[in-house]
Amino acid sequence: MTAPALELIDVHAGYGSIEVLHGVNLVVPVGSLVTLLGPNGAGKTTTLAAIDGRVAPTAGCVHIAGRHVNGSPTQRVARAGVCSIPEGRGVFPNLTVDENLLMVTQLHDDLTTSMVRERTFARFPQLARRRHLLAGSLSGGEQQMLAMARAIVTDPALLLVDEPSMGLAPVIVAAIYDVLGQLTAEGMTVLLVEQFAHKALSIADFAAVMSNGRISVFCEPADLEDVAGAYLGVTA
Amino acid sequence: MPLLQTREVTVRFGGVTALQSVSLSADPGTVTGLIGPNGAGKTTLFNVITGLQAPAAGRVLMDGQDVTDLPVHRRARLGMARTFQRLELFGSLTVEENVRTAADIRQLWSRDRADVARMTDAVIARVGLRQYAHSPAHTLPTGLARLTELARALATAPRLLLLDEPGSGLDGAESEEFGRLLGALAAEGTAVLLVEHDMDLVMQACSQIHVLDFGVHLTSGTPDEIRADSRVQRAYLGEADAVPTGARA
Amino acid sequence: MGEFIGLTIAGLSLGAIYAIAASGLVVTYTTSGVFNFAHGAVGMIMAFVYWQLRVQDHWSAPAALGLSLLVIAPAIGLLLEAVLIRRLNVNDTGMTLIVTVAVMVALMGVAFTIWPPTIGRLLPQFFGPNGHVSIDGELISYEELISIGLAVATALGLRLFFHNTRIGVAMRGVVDDRQLMAMNGRSPQFLNALSWMIGAAFGALAGILTASTYTLDVLTLTLLVLNSFAAAMLGRLRNLPLTFLGAIVLGLANAYMTGYLRLTGWLVELRPVLPTLFLFIVLVALPAVRLRAGTAAVSKAIRVPGARASLVNGAVLVAVAAIAAPFIHGIALGNVNEGAALGIGALSIVLLSGYGGQMSLAQYAFFGLGAWLFGETGHGGNPLGLLAAAGAGAVLGALVALPALRLRRLEFALSTLAFGTLAWYMFLSQPQIIGLGDVNIPRLHLPGLSLQNDRVNLVFLAVVFALLSAGVLAIRRSRYGRILIAARDSEAACATLGLNLRLTKILLFALASAIATFGGAIYGSTQLIVTSNDFQYVSSLFIVLIVYVWGISTPGGALAGGMSLALAPLVEAHVPARFQALTYFFTGLGALTILTHPEGVIPLITERLRLLNPLAAYRSRQTRQVRVANEQLLTTVEVRRATPADA
Repeated sequence: MTAPALELIDVHAGYGSIEVLHGVNLVVPVGSLVTLLGPNGAGKTTTLAAIDGRVAPTAGCVHIAGRHVNGSPTQRVARAGVCSIPEGRGVFPNLTVDENLLMVTQLHDDLTTSMVRERTFARFPQLARRRHLLAGSLSGGEQQMLAMARAIVTDPALLLVDEPSMGLAPVIVAAIYDVLGQLTAEGMTVLLVEQFAHKALSIADFAAVMSNGRISVFCEPADLEDVAGAYLGVTA
Repeated sequence: MPLLQTREVTVRFGGVTALQSVSLSADPGTVTGLIGPNGAGKTTLFNVITGLQAPAAGRVLMDGQDVTDLPVHRRARLGMARTFQRLELFGSLTVEENVRTAADIRQLWSRDRADVARMTDAVIARVGLRQYAHSPAHTLPTGLARLTELARALATAPRLLLLDEPGSGLDGAESEEFGRLLGALAAEGTAVLLVEHDMDLVMQACSQIHVLDFGVHLTSGTPDEIRADSRVQRAYLGEADAVPTGARA
Repeated sequence: MGEFIGLTIAGLSLGAIYAIAASGLVVTYTTSGVFNFAHGAVGMIMAFVYWQLRVQDHWSAPAALGLSLLVIAPAIGLLLEAVLIRRLNVNDTGMTLIVTVAVMVALMGVAFTIWPPTIGRLLPQFFGPNGHVSIDGELISYEELISIGLAVATALGLRLFFHNTRIGVAMRGVVDDRQLMAMNGRSPQFLNALSWMIGAAFGALAGILTASTYTLDVLTLTLLVLNSFAAAMLGRLRNLPLTFLGAIVLGLANAYMTGYLRLTGWLVELRPVLPTLFLFIVLVALPAVRLRAGTAAVSKAIRVPGARASLVNGAVLVAVAAIAAPFIHGIALGNVNEGAALGIGALSIVLLSGYGGQMSLAQYAFFGLGAWLFGETGHGGNPLGLLAAAGAGAVLGALVALPALRLRRLEFALSTLAFGTLAWYMFLSQPQIIGLGDVNIPRLHLPGLSLQNDRVNLVFLAVVFALLSAGVLAIRRSRYGRILIAARDSEAACATLGLNLRLTKILLFALASAIATFGGAIYGSTQLIVTSNDFQYVSSLFIVLIVYVWGISTPGGALAGGMSLALAPLVEAHVPARFQALTYFFTGLGALTILTHPEGVIPLITERLRLLNPLAAYRSRQTRQVRVANEQLLTTVEVRRATPADA
């Protein structure tokens, strides 16, 4: 059996003296989509940050495809095949769409810019018309599409996506999720953080629910009940 | 008449519209909630109200008077005070000095000759920071730092209090205590505008809630109305039928 | 017509050099967020290196240029970034400025030592003495044309680099979002380092061009940074096309002024201050920056002595002066007096920069004004002359502060240096004011007390310093002092509490400048004879640097700073002439202690001494736990600040 794409073993991490993750255990098998759910402040984004190197874990292990990567700087984790798409602003607002796509090729010398454009515009035709505009002037949905281009083009070993639907209109969210579903169908391994539980669960192989810096539930989506309660405090 | 009104406030950063014609108001004696997902524009609205951000269009009114073109400090002198989502403490001063400095600054512009020392002590006691009074502000954990910012704002005896995520960093009990403090402030006639992610706190403390989503004023209503509003559920959960069924596409 | 073309070419060629220098400055600042004050100094060193290769070692011009521009200069840039800049918090303007000023001073020391200014050096023109064309009777040297050509190439090259290469676009992108760049697999640190390498190479090119077209002189080349800054301010230090425009305007203005205006009297000095004037016009025309939340730098609290402690400290100081005075002889007595007088003036830096967080790089202009005014108004040493000086200083300080609210801290700090330059050329150097000749200043005469004896004067200076520092400390402990600290820590918070920042800053500058001119008056009265060279504008950099090293937030730092400046010549006298300039080098190197001890040497020593007291040591152990937590929390704050705000 090959090593899982991602394995977190008792990961502790935080900012300064404030620990946010109190021992996270999580396995993402190769070729599966795991969605990480939970209320604001549960530690979802910090978990992603601990994986992609924005935050160095204070204890525990982060294994990517069996390799120990704790404390490696972000760019090195990226070179190891992890594509991390951060929350909200996954684009460089003062670069044009074309220039943003050029950034995607930063460590992929085999990719030509025309290939990147071709594949991106095939998936998101509306970006083609905006090629020469600053990314910051695009709508939120177009920005998210542009951010997703890196995942589409670079064929990463592991894709981390943080709240891709945040603040977007439902039709755009649907488009983004189509892409995510398709990438998974093509065999990509994905860890998807969402507040929008419903959408994420519809394409996930597994769901992990976080609360207070730990994974409290890990199961198949069908076995998960009452996620809504965690967000709006309806059950409180 | 509402103490504060924003009329069709629009803010753009480059090509991004951060706020789109947002109108809301805050009345004396009430706690008004402002909620929405991350990036909805809540902090930007606070910056427009206090004068740290100029709107591309729209007006800000205090007591019915247009203050859109007034500088930050002149608005504060009309009785606005705020806390910051990203802390803006006076890091090299102690908690007590932070609060006292605010009271000192108020003495520079207010006709009220309240005793600074007494006011400082009273405010610190009120927010429950007495045992930390002599700690340097930059040593405080987030929850206490946020309370220090609140105390500092209160030391100017504001009529309008803008609180930007004061609850993050507080535990359950502290958060409840904080809710009671907000209620007490409102009871004294202060208008409180509260940006907060802790829904329990928002539902407990606010009489009116406005929902922002991606810069747009989505809806407003009482806590019960907001809880039942499908658009709000959608803003937070992404779908109208919010109960996941687990069906896989 | 011929004259016009000649002047235009000359102006364009000068503007071209400014443009090349300024674009290096802009590239470095935009990507790394640190303004490189040593930019000109790097160019200066490289001009000397080029001279060494070309003239001493007889290299061919292309080989010497290649090695200088493509290898040595980038290596210097890389070294600076890797050793120093990487460790700076870019939000701490004072710190970034001081560290790069220290680098500048150290590089000047290196240059003076390796290439002593006692020997004249000439760089051969690239095409020899006959390398020129004639247009309409005007001789236009190839040198000038080369500069223009290189500037055009620079403009086109940078445009191509930043818009059409992967790495160039990445350097623009990293300004938007460092973490996202890392997620794309490109190290932001690498891009920072690259920006310093590119900046150094352009600095070097500008330095070599200046040296071969005009002069190979340490100070001229080092201060090229000021002209570049003036040009770059048109684009607010970030916009390359506007920077080029600014540079061209500056160059042309310079040439036409030289050619067409027959300047006489005090206006002869107009040419050297042209960049300064240009800068002022730009500053007035630029839109004011908006107050922003989330840019505050967290500074460490420094123990402030109480009223009693500060008076006791003062009494001890006076006692030491009284006991030591009889044992100080000869030249040393004069130097110690001078140091004490400078220390009094330097208290203004404690108030302004230590408490208020504002950097002023024009203190010597105020010292000079004070000395001159005391000479003019304090006839027979009349103490009223001191008051006149302080009063005039307050008014001038308030005026200088006016643009402070419109500008970022860095912009303002650099503008004060421009003001200092202007004041020196247009005012202090004028023969009607002080000029280059000796001017006699009376010794202060107090009723019933003669200060003619230098030893008595020294004790008197100690008394003045003790009283004034007690005053400065009293300000710090007062309501106004707390407000100053608060405004330093967070301007946004102060404004939202109702503080009028403009008034606060004007008051701060008025007070600090009053102290500075008062100190200048005391300095004049102590020195008895001054020339304008005593108040050279570059000295303002040195005094701020040295006070920063000793402790910017404590009066002791001011005294130690003044003494260091005044006593350095005594030490130098014992050093072989060949190595005297090494004091620059070691000053610069020593100044880098602030990387590890930003609060300064004196607070460090007093804290160590305090811990010798068992009770204090016990208390300190008790609070150590808390302090460790503090340090960690500081990082938390930084991390929070580094993450983008809720839009």
